[in-house]
Amino acid sequence: MSVEREDKHAGSGTNAAQSEREKLEIHLLLEGIYSASGFDFRNYARSSLRRRIYHRMQLDGLLTVTSLLEKALHEPGYLDLLVNDFSIKVTEMFRDPSFFRLFRQRVVPELRRYPEIRIWHAGCATGEEAYSMAILLQEEGLLERTKLYGTDMNEQVVRSAREGRFPLKRMQAYTKNYLQAGGAGEFSSYYSTNHEYALFDPSIKANITFAQHNLATDRSFNEFHVILCRNVLIYFDAVLQRRSHGLFYDSLAPEGFIGLGHMETMAAAYKAKYEEWIPPGHLYRKK
Amino acid sequence: MLREMRINIRSKIAIGYLLIICCLGVSIVVVTERIASLQEEIGTLTSRDIEIHNLIASIRYHAISMESSQRGYLITGSDADLVPYTDGKAKWEAGYNSLSQLISQQPGMKNELEEIKLTIEKWIDEVGDPAIELRKRNDSAGMIRFFTEESGRTSLDALKERFGSLTNRQIESTRLHILGLDNRNRLLTVSLYVMLAVVAAVAFLIVSFVSGSIVNTIKRVVKTIAEIASAGGDLTARIEVRTKDEIKDLADATNQLLASLETENWIKTKVAEVATMNQGITELNALAEAFLAKVAPIVDAAHGLFYIREGSGSGQRLVRIASYASDSDASGRSGFRMGEGLIGQCAQDKRPFLLNKLPEHDVKIVSGLARVTPQSLLVFPIEFEGKVEAVVEFASVTSFSTQHLKLLEQIEDHFGVALNNVAGRMEVERLLSESRQLTEELQAQTEELQTQSEELQLQQEEMRITSEHLAEQKKFAERKTRELESAQKELEAYSEELRKSSQYKSNFLANMSHELRTPLNSILILSQLLSENENGTLSEEEAGYAAIIHTSGNDLLALIDDILDLSKVEAGKITLTIDEVNVSEIPEQMKLRFDSVANSKGLAFDCRVIDGVPPLLHTDGQRLQQILTNLLSNAFKFTERGSVALTVRSADPHKVQEALPLHASGDVLEIAVTDTGIGIPEQKQELIFEAFRQVDGNTNRQYGGTGLGLSICREFAKLLGGTIELTSRVGEGSTFTLYVPSISGEQAERLASAYEEAAAAVMMPETPHVAADRPQTEGADKDDRLFKGKRVLLVEDDDRNVYALVRALEQKAIEVKVAGNGKECLRIMKEEPGFDLVLMDVMMPVMDGLETMGVIRRDPALKDTPIIALTAKAMKSDREKCLEAGASDYISKPLNMEQLFSLMRVWLTKQVGH
Repeated sequence: MSVEREDKHAGSGTNAAQSEREKLEIHLLLEGIYSASGFDFRNYARSSLRRRIYHRMQLDGLLTVTSLLEKALHEPGYLDLLVNDFSIKVTEMFRDPSFFRLFRQRVVPELRRYPEIRIWHAGCATGEEAYSMAILLQEEGLLERTKLYGTDMNEQVVRSAREGRFPLKRMQAYTKNYLQAGGAGEFSSYYSTNHEYALFDPSIKANITFAQHNLATDRSFNEFHVILCRNVLIYFDAVLQRRSHGLFYDSLAPEGFIGLGHMETMAAAYKAKYEEWIPPGHLYRKK
Repeated sequence: MLREMRINIRSKIAIGYLLIICCLGVSIVVVTERIASLQEEIGTLTSRDIEIHNLIASIRYHAISMESSQRGYLITGSDADLVPYTDGKAKWEAGYNSLSQLISQQPGMKNELEEIKLTIEKWIDEVGDPAIELRKRNDSAGMIRFFTEESGRTSLDALKERFGSLTNRQIESTRLHILGLDNRNRLLTVSLYVMLAVVAAVAFLIVSFVSGSIVNTIKRVVKTIAEIASAGGDLTARIEVRTKDEIKDLADATNQLLASLETENWIKTKVAEVATMNQGITELNALAEAFLAKVAPIVDAAHGLFYIREGSGSGQRLVRIASYASDSDASGRSGFRMGEGLIGQCAQDKRPFLLNKLPEHDVKIVSGLARVTPQSLLVFPIEFEGKVEAVVEFASVTSFSTQHLKLLEQIEDHFGVALNNVAGRMEVERLLSESRQLTEELQAQTEELQTQSEELQLQQEEMRITSEHLAEQKKFAERKTRELESAQKELEAYSEELRKSSQYKSNFLANMSHELRTPLNSILILSQLLSENENGTLSEEEAGYAAIIHTSGNDLLALIDDILDLSKVEAGKITLTIDEVNVSEIPEQMKLRFDSVANSKGLAFDCRVIDGVPPLLHTDGQRLQQILTNLLSNAFKFTERGSVALTVRSADPHKVQEALPLHASGDVLEIAVTDTGIGIPEQKQELIFEAFRQVDGNTNRQYGGTGLGLSICREFAKLLGGTIELTSRVGEGSTFTLYVPSISGEQAERLASAYEEAAAAVMMPETPHVAADRPQTEGADKDDRLFKGKRVLLVEDDDRNVYALVRALEQKAIEVKVAGNGKECLRIMKEEPGFDLVLMDVMMPVMDGLETMGVIRRDPALKDTPIIALTAKAMKSDREKCLEAGASDYISKPLNMEQLFSLMRVWLTKQVGH
């Protein structure tokens, strides 16, 4: 809806020129960031990037996208700030609880037969999903033989993910999700609290490894039984989505599972290579 | 003298003009006098010369008339002709006298006149009189002689000549006089000009002096003012005026103005300084500190205190938050009530207090060398919108000047705003950071939504393409659904039957669990409280007792759990989950788990897989793991030295035939756990598998444990279609051998009836059950700020639990209200709304927790109040019922207090984003 509206606006004469120039500026900015830092946002969905760029400009009182590039190149620390701005940090524990419930019912029995299980959370942001998965596996008695990898391109959020602490003010929602996701124990038994954060038990953290990894530029680093990349690909354009799907396919063990977000679907090119394991839940199994 | 005297400009000008007028007057008098003397001289000169002239003429006339009369007489002889002669004779003498008098100054003329006189007299004597005598006597002869001699003629001619010369002389003298007059006249003219010049010069001097003295002063004033203006308002400059006139007055007035401007300016600058100082300070204490540090030097105060108003209504207090050059903490009170002391009074009256010449003051101003008593004390309020926000007190060794007071008055207004700003800003910042976070989250969500909508569009297209295909499938699916529906109905009926049949047992278990746990709960909580001994009222020994009570309670709890396990297995309440177990993995897992135990006890731990075992085994991996864990725990528990070994091998078919006739055809795994422990006497080997049996009473005491582990193992083994055998010799060790067959799903169903799973936690033997065992996560703390003043409603019927919980909660400064049952809970919530949290026991008389929660959730005003259900631990079905009834979260009894507090922190924290 809103996309259509924007298009209409861009229709008139000067607006068209303006949007052309803006496209060029954003293009240059992304090229600049890539050349200067190696962070590649060139294939991120432009509409979402544009909003982030304008948000940053508004915050810093800048008038043009180019001035953003100038600051990024000249002002120490600003580049990191931009990279941080552009990375996606929206996540929650047991997000989309039905996914976790189905995972518990349909995928966990399949995983039991592996002596060792490796799970990759690609684009894990602050790690909520990885912790949720660890709790689920703990309740299913699988955590001890599971190694979870959480990766994100943003070093800052990776650091925060390692801490395993989440603000108390989100915890009620997480509890609801946990219960809806069919949690078998008591959510409160996995954390202790201080006045600001819930700190997850070291036994939950022990098997999770967080690392920096960039879906846009880095290669596969292991073979996994499960890859979860939920609500990340929506921020990529078609090219980067294809690349990511390729990366996932190459990183999955035979008969491994891949979970996507509730609004994401398997790229057409790979549809044939996967079996749709839970049809509406966006869980696929490699053939 | 003159310098001291005050001469104003009017007098200066007047004096100047007077001087000029005087000069003019003098010159006019002089000129007039000169003209008058000139006039007089001209007069005298004119009248005298004319008289001389007349007298000469008259003498000449008389002489001539005498001569002509004598001649006439001589001719006629008539006496009438003789009259002029006699008359002349009588008169010329008078003329001569007058003339002689007039010309007495002029010797030349006088001589001439004498000559003339002599000549006339001689004529009279020689000519006139004798001739007349002759006539009288009629002596004609004499007369003829007389005429013949003509003596008279000669004398008359001489006379005429004399007269001519006299007249000439006289004319000459007159001419000289006129010349002299001319000269004087010229002199007069010249002197007139000179005088004009002198007067002009004098006038010029006076004018220039007067104007100079006025203009120069004005110029100096103007210059000074211009300098002040051009120097960017340097108000320290002053106008200097040496004169004592109106300009001096002007300068003085201007200087006064400057001085007052300077004061004003000083005040403004200082106010501005204080105002700018506020910038960037976002914290009240820092602001107050900065304020004192700034203002105290300005007002020459050597000591200062800052009190801020806190609280509201009657609880308002003025609390010290900053001090300046404070002696020690003792100096200055830390707080006042409104109206208490000068500080409080100042806040109440909204007016400053200034005390001078303090006699003896408690407070000393302290430096390294001296202690000085302050001379002056100033207390003033800082207001904002008519409300006193803070009170500041300053002490000074000197007196406060009016300038200082004025400054403070100004600062007071500004600072009130600043204070309010900072307080506001602190609040705003807090709100801002919250709202920023919200915004960011919102934005992120919006972004996702937008991208999702794009995705949806794409999907829509795809869907349209596949819709035809789907339509076909739909028909097929519909048929399938109908089939499924009927199958489902059958299943439902079946499961309903099953559910009913298990209801009684399950209820019994639930009740049993609850009844046992409820008293235990209070024991655990209170003993933990006691052992923490936070008040320090217990001796160390007593605290130790409490700790022992706590540990014993935990043991009791573990026992109850075990009983529950066992009873569940026996009641067939456990479902099996059959999956593929990787056999080679088993020893590795066990090694991982027990290596640390082995190391700590100094035992060897050997895990082996003998070749020839099937790689995969179909069984319930979790149960298998639990059995092995139990066996190994047991082995380690009873072994003091030597080794523990785990051996996995394919079972001997003969043995299988013997032990497991049902599974003779399939793969059977033999897992042996061997230890070098105390061993078990033969006659007791069967007993140990029975519940609550250990080798003897002592064993229990020595090694702890409930004695249920082996019973559970055997029940689980049976469940898996296997068995456990034991060989042991006292003193040498024991070997437990587990036989597990590979079973299929159907077999499993046969083995364990598919009852509603009543146990969730039971299945994890190592799950820590008790509070004391739970390690504190790093970073967690006992910070109680979240709890302070929160209102919690505890709904619980058991007095012991109520007592224990209330004590524990109140220790955290939580306000606890207790309801004994659901009805009471509803009543209290209605009467006193606004509870932050409800802790709800599930099993209660009159109205139980589930029903109560249902009622609460139907009340729109209460639907968001967090309710934590207190459930019996094992009952998963209970939990689900709780959630359905509207519980926000649950926690099982007996309560782990640390966990409860963690949970409460979560539910007492205001949430964002949802």
